[in-house]
Parts: sequence; structure tokens; C-alpha cells
Amino acid sequence: MSTRCTTSNFRAWSCLAVFVLIPAGAAALESGSGVDPQSGLRFWFVRDEGMSLRLAQILPDQTRGFFLARGFSAAQADRIALSCVFQTDFRNIATGDAPLAYDLREWVVHYRGESRRMKLRADWAREWQEAGLAPGPRTAFEWALYPTAQIYQAGDYNWGIATFDLPPGARFDLELVWTRAGTRYRHLIRDMQCVEDRHMEPGETAE
Amino acid sequence: MKRPARGRPARVGRGSLLGALLFLATAVPADETLMAPLAQSFAAPDFDLPCEGGGRCRLADYRGKVVLLNFWATWCPPCRAEMPSLERAWQKLGGKEVVVLAVNVGEDEDAIFAFQGDYPVSFPIPMDESGAVARAFRVTGLPTTYLVTPDGRVTHRAMGTREWDSAAMLAWLRAQARPRRGEAGDGGSGRSRPDQAALNGR
Repeated sequence: MSTRCTTSNFRAWSCLAVFVLIPAGAAALESGSGVDPQSGLRFWFVRDEGMSLRLAQILPDQTRGFFLARGFSAAQADRIALSCVFQTDFRNIATGDAPLAYDLREWVVHYRGESRRMKLRADWAREWQEAGLAPGPRTAFEWALYPTAQIYQAGDYNWGIATFDLPPGARFDLELVWTRAGTRYRHLIRDMQCVEDRHMEPGETAE
Repeated sequence: MKRPARGRPARVGRGSLLGALLFLATAVPADETLMAPLAQSFAAPDFDLPCEGGGRCRLADYRGKVVLLNFWATWCPPCRAEMPSLERAWQKLGGKEVVVLAVNVGEDEDAIFAFQGDYPVSFPIPMDESGAVARAFRVTGLPTTYLVTPDGRVTHRAMGTREWDSAAMLAWLRAQARPRRGEAGDGGSGRSRPDQAALNGR
């Protein structure tokens, strides 16, 4: 289903009603995508009982600028920028006592018939060590990257960048796994897309 | 039509560790607007870091008070978002029973100084440029805020932003400064060994 939601604030959920799935006897899971009217970039979201996830495209130039300002060489900043970067916001939206846990090592990227893992902190750390990256930039990178695994209590969340190590423009499916109050859940986000490496004009969207 | 799959219980077997951790974490009821109790409290690793603006920031100097220990960075939007409410909380709490320390992670003084032009704050900002203190406190994402009891134990945590100057939060923080009978600053959630006895800045 091609769904679009024109909001820059993912708390504004009213626009999602067109693709809410409510199986009989089960809590509603909302999932879809939209275009941020300010950036023109696409985002994907999942919201289920007690959890909310939003993955938003980041332009390679934004990523380059961020890391160039933190001591990375142009080639290193380029390497990150072209790794299919998404701004990630995952939170426990439960009220009361319902811990939420995830481990990105369990998430599966389906791309061109292959199943692979996201590129995570440990993967990057190895790469930076081999490249001899200075401690300052390495620290900046570590904290900018979305945490690999967390347990969120009610009200907790994190924000950071997630990298998929796919080429610009690549389309892929993302299989999520999370645990809530002792039960594990899966959900497949279909047809996500890495943003192209280009300069966007005012009013232009990523599609 | 592409139809999103329904979130459903998974049949994979790798969840046993997470399940066990979740079981531990569910021991105490939570209020999502406050800070969640840790399944196991731990002794706060002491640190001695350069303070933004000069001098040293030592956690041990605040023994006897509740410390709201915030880990943040200037580039982190949620961190920036909660700075004004942290500052208001600091002003309202007055530093007598509860103090705020906002440990900047991974940045230099120039970056923090520039940030303060837009977000002026008056609480101490220890500078953890290497990230060693954040790691010792088991921080994995920013912002993360811990509550350190007057006897130096870390008992509660908040990941992501909170309204630090809400009436409920201020009342709760003040209550933490007055240990109830039988709790001895443990937060009622058990004790574990410290990660590291002491850390020193650059």
C-alpha cells in the first residue's frame, strides 16, 4: 500500500487512520510512510501497543556536513553519508509498567533477495579502528549512532542515526523484532528506500 | 497492495536473555513521566572532569545531595529540547537538596560555549570528551539521566527527555532527597557492584 502522510511531527497521528489495521480482538498496529513537508524526505513508522518507531531519510549532504564538522575526512564523511542513513526514534509509549526491548542485531534487511544485518556500532568501530580514526571523531560517531540494544521503561526513548550499508536509492524491506512485557513481536516494513545522493530544491520531495 | 505485516509474537528462540532482563526490569511499577527505577542500583562511578567555564567537576563533591546526572551533547535534538526544563528545575530546586550536573559527552569547550549562546544554563557542565564517564555509567544513548542518591548510588534512570520542572517531577526529586525508613538510598531495587571505582578527566 502506498501511503503518504504529510506531517513533520510524528506525534500527529490523525493522518494515519487510512492504514490502521485492527485485527479482531487485538490491539491496533499502525504502519506506513509519509513525506516530511519541511525536508521533503520520506519517513516510515510503526506504532503498536506501547511502542513507536520512526525512521526518516537523511540526505547524504546532511550527513557529510555533520561528520565533517566533527573531524572526519571528506572520504570518511562520504563513506558514512552513502551508507543509507536514517534518523531513528524508537520509544516506549506505554503508560505504567511495560518494558520494551530491542536488539538491532536481530533486525533483518531484505535487499535484492538477500537477508542481511544493519551496520551497527561494533561494525563501524572495527572499520574506524582499521582506518586509524582519531579518538575524537570516533567518540562523536559512536554517540551519534543509534544504540544497538536497549530496554526502555515507560516514557523512555532514544534518538540517533541508523545505517543500512546500502547504496543510494536502494529499496529494501526491514524486519523488526521487539520484546514487550516478555512477549516478542515481529513486523515487516515493506519498500523502504535509501535517499538518493542529490541536492534537493525547495519544494522538492525525495520521490 | 503491499500490506504491512501485523506485529505478532515471534517464534525465534533468541529472546531468552532479553526476556530475563525484562523480567528483572518489571519488578517496580513505573510512572512514565518520572524516572524508572533500575532493576539493580549501583554505586555511582566517581569522576573528576574539567568543568565548562573552568575548574573541576567532581561527583564526590555532591555527596549528601541528590544528583540529577544528565548525559547530553549539543548535536542531539532531544538533549537540546530538555535543557530549558532542566535549567528551570535547577532554579526551582535551588541546589540545596537536589543538584543538576549535565555531563557533555564527546565535545570540546568551544562547542559547548557556542551552544550556551542559544541555551543558557547555569548548572555545572562536566566535559567528558572521551566518553569514558558515560561508558562507566552504562550510558548507551543520549540523553540519559540518572538519579544519584545522597549516599552515591544510582537508583533511577530516564532515557530521552522529561519535563524536569513539572510539579510531579519536582516533588518526586525532593522526596528522593529524604530517604524513607528502611530504604537507605537504595531505591528498593537491589545493589550491584560498581563498574569502576574512579575516573579522571583529561
